[in-house]
Amino acid sequence: MKYKDYYEILGLERTASQDDIKRSYRKLARKYHPDVSKHDDAEERFKELGEAYEVLKDPEKRAAYDRLGSDWRSGQEFQPPPNWDEGFEFHGSGAGAGAEENLDDFFEAMFGRAHAHARHAQARAMRQDHHAKVVIDLEDAYRGAQRTISLQTPVVDPQGHISLESRTLNVTIPKGVRAGQHLRLTGQGGAGAPGEPAGDLYLEIAFREHPRFRVDAADVLLDLPVAPWEAALGAPVTVPTPDGAVEMTIPKGSAGGRRLRLKGKGIPGNPPGDLYVVLNIVLPPADTDSAKAAYNTMKQAFRFDPRAQFYG
Amino acid sequence: MKESVTTYLEGKLVDEGIEFTLVELCHVSGASEEELTEWVSEGVFEPTGSRPEEWRFSGASLHRVRIAQRLSHDLQVNAPGIALALDLLDEIDTLRGRLGRLRKG
Repeated sequence: MKYKDYYEILGLERTASQDDIKRSYRKLARKYHPDVSKHDDAEERFKELGEAYEVLKDPEKRAAYDRLGSDWRSGQEFQPPPNWDEGFEFHGSGAGAGAEENLDDFFEAMFGRAHAHARHAQARAMRQDHHAKVVIDLEDAYRGAQRTISLQTPVVDPQGHISLESRTLNVTIPKGVRAGQHLRLTGQGGAGAPGEPAGDLYLEIAFREHPRFRVDAADVLLDLPVAPWEAALGAPVTVPTPDGAVEMTIPKGSAGGRRLRLKGKGIPGNPPGDLYVVLNIVLPPADTDSAKAAYNTMKQAFRFDPRAQFYG
Repeated sequence: MKESVTTYLEGKLVDEGIEFTLVELCHVSGASEEELTEWVSEGVFEPTGSRPEEWRFSGASLHRVRIAQRLSHDLQVNAPGIALALDLLDEIDTLRGRLGRLRKG
């Protein structure tokens, strides 16, 4: 397993006070909270922070961690010395922020047992509904889809050790699902107390970023490149939608940025969303003599001053 | 790691057609009854029904309840803070959408 430098994760010196630790954790947790942060690695960073804080905020765990010495570097291969935790009694203080689902190697090996007791007590108190996120393509929301997802559930054995049990679920994603919505899978959550039903599993839907379409609730937006003469004179065009191409007419005299609505062509539902085609006028390059001549002809024909209203 | 178990499942979409009672929503979201009651009194969520035992929450609110629960537990944000944070997150979402449109245009 790899050593983790919890002080480095929190941006602190080893001499930091308990107050410093708390302050630094709070500050970084706000910065990297996955609901707030748009950093690509926010989820990973936040989990690491939670783990570092879980250990360093507790004076007993911190002392045990400090006893490993300060010569280790993050990522270095590491084996805990025998009886490294002798004389320390860890009191589980409940699951730390972010440490819920994916227990980390290093943390698990060093501080896992204390953790397990707390989790065990919690599991007995009430049945647990579990949550997971599933990322689908926009096209899946139009047609419905079949998805295989793998979940890792922590399981506590009679000795109090946690292992990750991996299971695979084949799930039908219904047509018309939107980002942020949840799918409930009855009885697929955590086991309840003996004689009680198991909890449910909730899958939160997110859409993978699409190179072409943007999504706004049930509406879908698409930038469509058009030539200046298509916008000016009107033209029939073929517009891609997540559910296949459709024919549409650009009305004559359209300005750049004009939004054309294809009613009911957004995400299906009752009512379905709309698809908005946003016109993006693209100028042909003046890179040949005939192209330059054509622009010159335009210049003569229009006597057009784009800045007529500009200086007011 | 133990061997995998495969199951085939049909999920139920948690949308406007599903309602949660206060107790059910607590189970589902991991928030406590006290927290949810406080958030309702801040106007973050608007269940139908007048008394807590009559409250019915729309299934569509689950997404925001989960965010509220995480912010509250992970960052110790209190109820007025949750109300503010959710409003600001909505606004950021809207602005990001517009920004994406401008960048492409």
